[in-house]
Amino acid sequence: MKIKRILIANRGEIAVRIMKTARLMKIETVAVKTVVEPNAMYLASADVIYDNTENTAEIPVFLDIEKLIAIALETKANAIHPGYGFLAENAYFAQKCIDNKIIFIGPSPDAIYKMGNKTIARRIALAHRIPMAMGSEGNIANEEEAVITAEKIGYPVIIKAASGGGGRGMRIVRKSEDMEKMFIIASKEAEKAFNDPSVFIEKYIENPKHIEFQILGDTKGNVIHLGERECSIQRKHQKLLEEAPSVALDKRLRKKMGDMAVEIAKAVDYYSAGTVEFLLDSDKNFYFMEMNTRIQVEHPVTEIVTGIDLIEQQIRIANGEELKYKQEDIKLSGWAIECRINAEDVQAGFAPDPGKIVNLSMPTDPCVRVDTGVQVGSSIVASYDSMIAKLIVKGKDRREALKNCKMALDKVWIKGTKTTLPFFRMLVRHQKFQDGDFTTAFIEKDLEKYYYNSEYEEMLAAWLATKLFVEENLDDSNTKIDYKHGKEMSPWLLNKRMNQF
Amino acid sequence: MTNDKLQIKKLYALSSENRKFSFSLPLKQTIRIGKRNYEVKLKADEKFGAYILWKNRKYPVEIVHSRQNKYEILFNDISYTFTVETPFSLQRMKVLKSRKGGAEKAYVKAPMPGKIIDVMAREGSNVLRGEAVVILEAMKMQNEIVSPANGTIIKVSCRPNTNVMKDDLLVEIKL
Amino acid sequence: MDISGKYFKAYIDRQEALKKQYNPKQAAKQHLKGKLTAHERINLLFDSGTFEEIDAFVTPAPMPVEFGKIDVTYGDGVIVGHGKINGRLVFAYAQDFTVMGGSLGLVHSKKITKIQEMALKMGSPIIGLMDSGGARIQEGVASLSGYASIFHNIIQSSGIIPQISVIMGPAAGGAVYSPALTDFVFMVSLTSYMFVTGPNVVKEVLNEDVTSEELGGAEVHARKSGVANMIYDDEENTILALKKFLSYLPSNNVENPPIVAENVLVPDVNEKLRDIVPDDPNKAYDVRDVINLVVDRNSFFETSELFGASLVTGFARLKGKTTGVVANQPKVLAGVLDIDSSVKGARFIRFCDAFNIPILTFEDVPGFLPGVDQEHAGIIRHGAKLLYAYSEATVPKITIILRKAYGGAFIVMNSKFLGGDYSFAWPSAEIAVMGPDGAVAILYRKELAESENPVELKKELVKKYRDKVANPFIADESGYIDEVIDPAITRKKVISAFEALNNKWVKVPARKHGNMPL
Repeated sequence: MKIKRILIANRGEIAVRIMKTARLMKIETVAVKTVVEPNAMYLASADVIYDNTENTAEIPVFLDIEKLIAIALETKANAIHPGYGFLAENAYFAQKCIDNKIIFIGPSPDAIYKMGNKTIARRIALAHRIPMAMGSEGNIANEEEAVITAEKIGYPVIIKAASGGGGRGMRIVRKSEDMEKMFIIASKEAEKAFNDPSVFIEKYIENPKHIEFQILGDTKGNVIHLGERECSIQRKHQKLLEEAPSVALDKRLRKKMGDMAVEIAKAVDYYSAGTVEFLLDSDKNFYFMEMNTRIQVEHPVTEIVTGIDLIEQQIRIANGEELKYKQEDIKLSGWAIECRINAEDVQAGFAPDPGKIVNLSMPTDPCVRVDTGVQVGSSIVASYDSMIAKLIVKGKDRREALKNCKMALDKVWIKGTKTTLPFFRMLVRHQKFQDGDFTTAFIEKDLEKYYYNSEYEEMLAAWLATKLFVEENLDDSNTKIDYKHGKEMSPWLLNKRMNQF
Repeated sequence: MTNDKLQIKKLYALSSENRKFSFSLPLKQTIRIGKRNYEVKLKADEKFGAYILWKNRKYPVEIVHSRQNKYEILFNDISYTFTVETPFSLQRMKVLKSRKGGAEKAYVKAPMPGKIIDVMAREGSNVLRGEAVVILEAMKMQNEIVSPANGTIIKVSCRPNTNVMKDDLLVEIKL
Repeated sequence: MDISGKYFKAYIDRQEALKKQYNPKQAAKQHLKGKLTAHERINLLFDSGTFEEIDAFVTPAPMPVEFGKIDVTYGDGVIVGHGKINGRLVFAYAQDFTVMGGSLGLVHSKKITKIQEMALKMGSPIIGLMDSGGARIQEGVASLSGYASIFHNIIQSSGIIPQISVIMGPAAGGAVYSPALTDFVFMVSLTSYMFVTGPNVVKEVLNEDVTSEELGGAEVHARKSGVANMIYDDEENTILALKKFLSYLPSNNVENPPIVAENVLVPDVNEKLRDIVPDDPNKAYDVRDVINLVVDRNSFFETSELFGASLVTGFARLKGKTTGVVANQPKVLAGVLDIDSSVKGARFIRFCDAFNIPILTFEDVPGFLPGVDQEHAGIIRHGAKLLYAYSEATVPKITIILRKAYGGAFIVMNSKFLGGDYSFAWPSAEIAVMGPDGAVAILYRKELAESENPVELKKELVKKYRDKVANPFIADESGYIDEVIDPAITRKKVISAFEALNNKWVKVPARKHGNMPL
């Protein structure tokens, strides 16, 4: 194994996740201790801790390329795993690692760059005849071009930022009179978020399902896919719940889409783990959206249905090994559901609820896997993300998985912050969700309320309030007020008080 | 000598969405659903803290805040706010509601110049007196601006990351 | 005596007549307004069967000149007497709005002064449930003198027995001075109001349109004028809260308050206290979170919550014993002291001092509120009141400095050399003449002006200031505070400090009274 020691350029649950596999592979890990969370759980699993608490630079260390390279060199780590977010899709960072003879556990800088730029990615997809939402060839230069392009594509269209996602620089336009205005707004937003005002236009597919395929490739040119993940349960473009596989795909569609995913990965000589995102419309037409050149938050559901450790595969691939799986070896068995439990207040529109985890209890049933970076005493800090844990549940089919999920959710107990648990408890009981009948518009359109409480819970809470009121006000509390001992005082004091005036 | 006795025989817990739950006194340790009576117990556990035991299930519970007859309760991860009313106070609420000529709107104004950091108020949602609606940064500190009354938010006139002057209107509330 | 004879019959007849006077129709008049009758209020306030009414059968005084009709009714519109509230003797009077509008005439006022004198003689608290249309015009100067006698009695009893007013209806004109003079004022929202000059006169003289509620409703007095200390949405809760409130107070200025043992034991050591004050000095927190972890569970009863909200005052218990709590509230106006909060704090402290209630102060104050408004309105004078009250108080006084303690505000908030008994500080405390930004700007003005990178330099200097000048260990090591403590053991420290101060006695200077700034 060339890789002897990995610097994990990340924190939280993914850092814990990577260290877990590294330990099994007998590879050492280095973690970075920051001033924001000096007692974080991920530090306990590392072999070497680099203490960065003295550093008061404005930029967080996990975004500081120079610093991270320096740490790797200093701690003699010969590989870096970027996790997800932070610098995971930064081609410059990947290149810098290579320049410093550090193995970057991820794809090539070239693949990152190409797939990171949406217009280039689209061009490549177009060249390989991958089905895509019809859209502009390149970036849109100005409002006039925007209007012309949109007319050609046909409304509704969506304006998207070339350099980033997450909903920023994104605008849906349904009428031509709104186009100019929206173009300007989207460009401005894109510039602010990604330092690049470039936007392109695509046909907007109404209420699609979001289906993504997990890709694994090696440096020898072999690329396979590990099936799909269903990620339509999203709120404001943030995923909340993911499943593998998806009810919407049958064997044929899976093969078709999977082959397309592999093809686009091969088009950029992709190696390591990656994800190809598609939108699936109500007629089962699929459209390529983008490729994420990193390991994703929701990777566990794929791991469960395929039995393959994706982090291990990433490390082996980075180590130069050939993929030991062929496409025909990949079999999907069973069903997995992942709930992202965040420190957010569902009753306040999913507003973040930072705080300290006072107590925590997760189910330990065999069908449950918990990936977390948080333990009792951890603080959920606003400057990072609000994730508490990923609750991953499996079953032999979707029905069983749902049943297990419901059971597991009822067993989770977190004290210290409000969480998205009530949302998931509601979701698993929702008829449409149970039927698999949902699209990315589900949360906005099909939900009357965002949380679950059984008809009795409010009544029980009301009973409790009433009980407290009775105890505090109407109970005969004569016996509890002690006048006798209250009046007692030492003769010294009594004497002084009596004679004071 | 008196001949008016104010015997309270029933209590009502009124939720923030105006749902009413009635309980007769003396308060029983059971709740009737259909024909059966189910036992409800308030217990405490070393590890879990306080919980309600109902139909063999434990519901973690926390009293977040209480003032006289107003209780904010976190029950199984959902927050509820109740005021506990007597039959007379319910009647009083009706009387006061039908009374005309009271103030109909409340205005939340900036108590000093500063920058709006966060706006929690949402048009159309109910708000209780004392509930925070805006966070204003002034004097280098974050200040919670609270609603002066119970009501419904009808207009939010401020946005995060903007500066406001003293007495600028921030939120309008219908009483 | 023969029960069927005429003497006993006369007695029974009169009892019946009284019952008839207080009939359900009368009661309905109050109920239709959402108000309770005077009898109902008394029944709710006192333990059942303990209230003994006095002078139930008095009738209005005959007037030398008849001007306007006077109903001949028993009681003259007020019920007075004594009873037990939660087992303790308390005197009370409740004005009856259904009898001549609860207006105050000579006999009405004599009943009240009678009960006031009894309360003072017995050394028991007195409560006034006010619901009155004001002075009885028909009785002229007799009414006014009636008020004067009542006020005089309040003042004579002030600081000797606790006196509480509950405003449950109108209180206008002269009538408002009763509550103003008593120790605490409870008020019912929307169905009570207080003002010296009513809306009609305001309209006449100033041509301003204003409703009673806008001019002097409960909200106004709780939030703007500070005259009302506690307000509630309805009458029952006002009275229930009053009963709870009384359990914190002694019966008179010689006795100690009753002890209410802890229901659920609060741990003496609690690590949660370490998490409350944020490391970032510009971040606010709710000081009540600190208070609630230090005092007995659920024992904090806040007073004047909406007025001068940058200072929190209220009663709490430590191991069952009543303690007065004063705390800066960083959540409001960054916790600065302004006119309203200074005045609020001063009155609260003086009440505690008069009634031997020890005072626990939590300090996190960056200074006084700057501004032309405050200066011109006399923050100097009003701030001095708080200073005076702290220094004058001879009860045990303990201060805990949680975070900021700058300049004049540090001195005012019960500092050691102002007469505080114990001063503790948390490690997050910053005790200095002024905050780091201000200090650095003044002391290093020249260096900052000449520097190439003033922002960096300022940051460095501010850090140095925080580390070297403002840290509490310096004050500790020089004896200006007693000890820097781990926030987790605050309750333990405070309880043992108060135990040591249990028998504190300080002789007050021999003088009629000081000249407190007013």
